[in-house]
Amino acid sequence: MVWTLRFAGLACVGLLLSPVSALAGPKVVSGPGADPGCFKPWSAQTKFFQWDKKPGPYKIALVNGFVGNTWRIQMVKTAKAFAAQPGIKENIKEFKVVSTGTDVAAQLGAMEDFINQGFDAIVTIAVAPDGFDRIIRLADKNNVVVVPFDNVLDTDKVMMVNEDQKEMGRMSAKWLIDESGKKAGDILEVRGLPGNSVDRDRHLGFREVMEASGNSFKITEVVGNWDTGTSQKVTADALAVHGHFDGVFTQGGSDGTVQALMSAKHPFVPMSGEGENEYRKQIADHAKDGLKGMSYGQSPALVAIATKAAISALQGNVMPQLISIPIPVATYKDLKPGTNYWPDLNANFFAPNQFTPCGVNFTAPEIMSQSEKNTQ
Amino acid sequence: MLDDVAIRIRQNIGIVTAVLLFSILYLLYNLAHPKGFSSAVLVQNGDEIFALAMLAMAQTVPVLASGLDLSVGAVMTMVGCFASYLLTGAAGGAALHLDIFGLHLGLGTFPGGVSGILLGIVICLAIGALAGFVNGCVVVYGRIQPIIATLATGAIYIGIALFLRPTPGGKIDEDLNWALTNSLGDFAATVHIFDDGAAQWFAPVAWIPVPFVLLVLIALLVWVPFRRSVIGRAVYAVGSAEGAAYMSGLPIERAKIAAFTLAGFFAGCGGLFLAIQTSSGNADIPQAGAYTLNSIASVVIGGTSLLGGTGSAIGSIFGAMILRVISFFFRIFDIAPLLQPLFEGLILLAAVSIGALGVLRVKNTLELFR
Repeated sequence: MVWTLRFAGLACVGLLLSPVSALAGPKVVSGPGADPGCFKPWSAQTKFFQWDKKPGPYKIALVNGFVGNTWRIQMVKTAKAFAAQPGIKENIKEFKVVSTGTDVAAQLGAMEDFINQGFDAIVTIAVAPDGFDRIIRLADKNNVVVVPFDNVLDTDKVMMVNEDQKEMGRMSAKWLIDESGKKAGDILEVRGLPGNSVDRDRHLGFREVMEASGNSFKITEVVGNWDTGTSQKVTADALAVHGHFDGVFTQGGSDGTVQALMSAKHPFVPMSGEGENEYRKQIADHAKDGLKGMSYGQSPALVAIATKAAISALQGNVMPQLISIPIPVATYKDLKPGTNYWPDLNANFFAPNQFTPCGVNFTAPEIMSQSEKNTQ
Repeated sequence: MLDDVAIRIRQNIGIVTAVLLFSILYLLYNLAHPKGFSSAVLVQNGDEIFALAMLAMAQTVPVLASGLDLSVGAVMTMVGCFASYLLTGAAGGAALHLDIFGLHLGLGTFPGGVSGILLGIVICLAIGALAGFVNGCVVVYGRIQPIIATLATGAIYIGIALFLRPTPGGKIDEDLNWALTNSLGDFAATVHIFDDGAAQWFAPVAWIPVPFVLLVLIALLVWVPFRRSVIGRAVYAVGSAEGAAYMSGLPIERAKIAAFTLAGFFAGCGGLFLAIQTSSGNADIPQAGAYTLNSIASVVIGGTSLLGGTGSAIGSIFGAMILRVISFFFRIFDIAPLLQPLFEGLILLAAVSIGALGVLRVKNTLELFR
């Protein structure tokens, strides 16, 4: 009975509050924002947000989706290491990390849970580019800063951090065209996880340049899920069917794509791929045989910048709505051992991990060689 | 009287264990949560549980007839993609067209407003049931093992979903989203009934989350009558001893088709809710796979035998809730992120083992092969 009454009371309060309370959340202000070296606005049209200043230290949650590939593990480790770094540690009262799997309902539930628990900010990799309207509404109502990064949302109502995925696609296309010196030919495109905004945008950027007028490329598309094994398998299948390609664009699991080329005794061709250390080693080893490779990198350290942006927003600073992080690129011409790839290390990891303007200074081997104890 | 209760508990030991386990876990979660036992937390959990609970119910019915349905996640995804076109609720309706083989076919305008939304919901559920009916026909008339048949049809349904939504998107009425993913109070306020939910008599129930109400309604209005019907009992009979059921003159083929059709309907309910919850459609293949696997896990945790013949969809709802509640703990307690899957697995293993403890008390091992 007491419970019923308490529930009823709560419900009444909720009822009274919900329709009348004006939507809080960030104010749209004019720029420039704080720390422009690190938080660079996406474009000249990017809006600026300002939240009410909250006293620190803050409770911050990282709600990851899928877990189980190297990138995500490196990302989680980077997040933990960054939260423990001096200068950041003082601002964080509690840092919680959960992974919900590729299940949008579970991710929405986890985010809502952290809002209900009274967390100040939620950093997240969205499992889908749509479907977070309810969470954004609740976060604004409770003055919680939500920062999606990597797989961002198709909305301009939240602050987000990313590298320009379309530009990665465009860069890759330009690279293939420039290095082959041809305006026609057979191209293999190995795509990422279907249904993802990153996969979609890289694909669109790539096609935009490849299919521009004057070009007549025949593009074969396979799905490699950003996974080394899958990418190797689908590349091998494509090679078996088509025999020859003049260039390859792989979105991820790039070392698997190269491995498939080598197994099929396919001659090395110009190629563009992700930032795996293994792939960069392959480029360094085989560049002289024709593997004219470019390696762009979606860095797992985006999580550190997203966390830093969340703290900055909670401190009441003016922040760009969409923060652009420069794309770290290395090509066969400028690979340097110990700087942008590590030839002696066998563990698989993503080479680009440093963003000096943002104070993210740990290298990928430092992160990945840390024992679980240090990072957890 | 007491003997009667004891017998009933023994007969339903699986579901009783599931309910007890869920109650304990959920109580602990609420005690540890800073806002435990509040409407907000209940709403959040209800939203998260609903789609999986529906898929668990969906999986239960074919399993009772001793067949697995690997297409439930695909049906859910496909119905969600349809919903993202049919539930826009746009005033004046939404124009639908079909681009296929280079043809551009206009399909007329789908009505908007409340009547359009209701029509859209009915169509979506019908699509789910139809997909299940197709599964049933392939299994019965194609004489193909359910697990293979549904693997194939599941791929077809995912294909349709991808055709409908090659990239995630679409729009679902915002008020519909807000009304169905909140408490009854917010529901009433959004659809303007009971004085916008402010009526005196309404207050004691205003805190209840809408998804829980829907779950109970579907269980009571669809599952319970089905189970009590001749076809429903035939499903159990087929799962427990198909030969005996045949000799007794039970409608075996109809029972199997009905089982898969009902599974499609439940999966459709799940997909519809997921689409409304996310206000969009997304042909997410990994997610469809994850839901299918989790639905099978929920069925087992809920005390239904994978061999068929015993168990119930209500148990599976609790199975789904247990599956979800385990991950709730990672949000409260500090557990190393990379160890969370390990803990989840251990707790699941323990949960399933508790249900299997009865095996230890069996006097004659032959009983296990019954």
